[in-house]
Amino acid sequence: MRTRTTRQEAERSVSTSTTGTPAGPAARRGRLRLDGVRKVLGGKEVVSAVDLETEPGEFLTLLGPSGCGKTTTLNMVAGHLGADGGVIEVDGTDVTGTPPHRRSMGMVFQSYALFPHMTIADNVAFGLRMRKVPAAERRRQVEEVLEMVGLDGMAGRHPRQLSGGQQQRAALARALVIQPDLLLLDEPFSNLDAQLRVRLREEVVALQRRIGTTTILVTHDQEEALAVSDRIAVMADGVIHQLDRPREIYLRPATDFVAQFIGEVNALDGTATGGGACEVAGARVGATAVGDPPAQGAGVRVYVRPEVVRIQADGDGLRGTVRETRFLGSRIRCVVATGAGEVTAALPFDAQVPAMGEEVTCAWRPSDASMAVR
Amino acid sequence: MTRLTRVLGTGFAVLVGLFLIAPVVVTVASSLTTTSYVTFPPKGITLRWYAEVFGKPEFLSSFVLSAGVALAAAAISAVVGLAGGLAIHRYRFPGRGALEAVLSSAFAVPTIVLGIGLLQWFAQMGLASSPFTLLLAHLVLTVPYAVRLVLAGLAGLDRSAEKAAAGLGAPPFLVFWHVTLPAVRGALIGGAFFAFITSFDDLTVALFVVTTDLQTLPVRIFNYMQYDYDPTVTAIGTLMVLFAVVAVVVIERFVGVARLFGADTDHK
Repeated sequence: MRTRTTRQEAERSVSTSTTGTPAGPAARRGRLRLDGVRKVLGGKEVVSAVDLETEPGEFLTLLGPSGCGKTTTLNMVAGHLGADGGVIEVDGTDVTGTPPHRRSMGMVFQSYALFPHMTIADNVAFGLRMRKVPAAERRRQVEEVLEMVGLDGMAGRHPRQLSGGQQQRAALARALVIQPDLLLLDEPFSNLDAQLRVRLREEVVALQRRIGTTTILVTHDQEEALAVSDRIAVMADGVIHQLDRPREIYLRPATDFVAQFIGEVNALDGTATGGGACEVAGARVGATAVGDPPAQGAGVRVYVRPEVVRIQADGDGLRGTVRETRFLGSRIRCVVATGAGEVTAALPFDAQVPAMGEEVTCAWRPSDASMAVR
Repeated sequence: MTRLTRVLGTGFAVLVGLFLIAPVVVTVASSLTTTSYVTFPPKGITLRWYAEVFGKPEFLSSFVLSAGVALAAAAISAVVGLAGGLAIHRYRFPGRGALEAVLSSAFAVPTIVLGIGLLQWFAQMGLASSPFTLLLAHLVLTVPYAVRLVLAGLAGLDRSAEKAAAGLGAPPFLVFWHVTLPAVRGALIGGAFFAFITSFDDLTVALFVVTTDLQTLPVRIFNYMQYDYDPTVTAIGTLMVLFAVVAVVVIERFVGVARLFGADTDHK
């Protein structure tokens, strides 16, 4: 028993050293790199030149509407689909042509995808069996991982005897027990009801932080992406529109698509005045350029989230007339008609509410808004 | 439910049951008669007709032929059904639609039409009547059913489970062995069972394909009855019923007959 464990440890350190990284904790492994990855399906390019690089231990989300290429990208990472161009690397090793069973990636699916004829213990042990881990060691690891996901005592059940949430925990355990280089999550929470979805995703994040496995999540749920990710790659039509931390994605969208896909936004057309500023409807407003600052005189679009807009009686900013105020519970919604169109503000519930028809100024911190060339 | 409807319902169920079981009861009972003609209720009790059956070697050889062909039909139907089902379910190839249409309409062809057609075909191809041609003829009946069952089994399989298995380190063959095959296991056993029964039971097609030297058990009984209508026939019938009962019991032991026909026995 003891010698087996020692041999296991030895194998593990050998396998890490062959991937080029020094033997260390799992958190040091799992650097995924995509370079110009393309996929054509049915004559249509569904993924076009996707570049991506994760830090070891990172939680990265591919976010986008259905058909944007996020799932196709994940399937290429897993090896279930071949790439039609580009390179996929894990820890410096090119795996582009490697079949899925020789990549070390644990995948969790929307449909749970448990093996229906096997018990939960056998499901979880599957990857270990494929790796020829001795039975006793297998049992120990299965027990450990089931306890980790809160399924101790369920080992002898069959998948259909478990609730959706429990099945997804089992699927997670099955993916994690092989200590994969990457954990791939394909819409794992979508089949669960709203309450359970939030609870399970919090658990998954906590677990991921603890074990430090690099994780790629595919989802169309922007709130979920914002809540769990270290970074988010927003995809549409097979390309990554923006890859950044949730806060940047939310406050400083780089494109119309990102701005519109994630929450509500005020999109205001103006002209760049150089030095990270611009003019909208005759007023000077601040916004942060995503990427290179636009040249002076270039037409730009400014993206401002309602939450960052402050309504003031006077001062610098966009002047306008209050059109509508509405109490929404957690927020007060206030619409101001300005020279650049309507600006919506979501004010805190205890804010001074302007009167209808009042002349006000809409202002925001330049760092809380973005601008991009139109 | 009122008392009356419950009584009527039970009564109806009993009548249906009696209707289904009556011919078997008549056959079994009349095989015990001491008279030299078939009669019900039997007059007296004797096992003489069973002795008669075992005294006629042609019945035994017919039984061996029937059982052999039926076993082969079962095995081949399962294998071809699996391959055909996988091909139709997984791949897009020219003629796929046509193949599926032919397989599903095969049930609609009357067996007598099939018998005539096969007779012509075998003659044209110069195939002499043999257990092999008989097997081919029965496969035409049984393979479409096996393919259908496999397709139904595959429809219930989540492809993600196969992806999951591959991701966990299973090479393609082990994915098939551990994930795909278990999903169609019931379908394969059901298809084989159906093929065996269909082949063993078939009279219509076999009538056209056999010769005087090569007679399946149903054909043998049919021919025998045209000249002698003595209780030997009912004795054979009883033996065939016993044979079927044993088969069902054996299968029930291993898989469960209900599951074999797709009934969901797991009510969670």
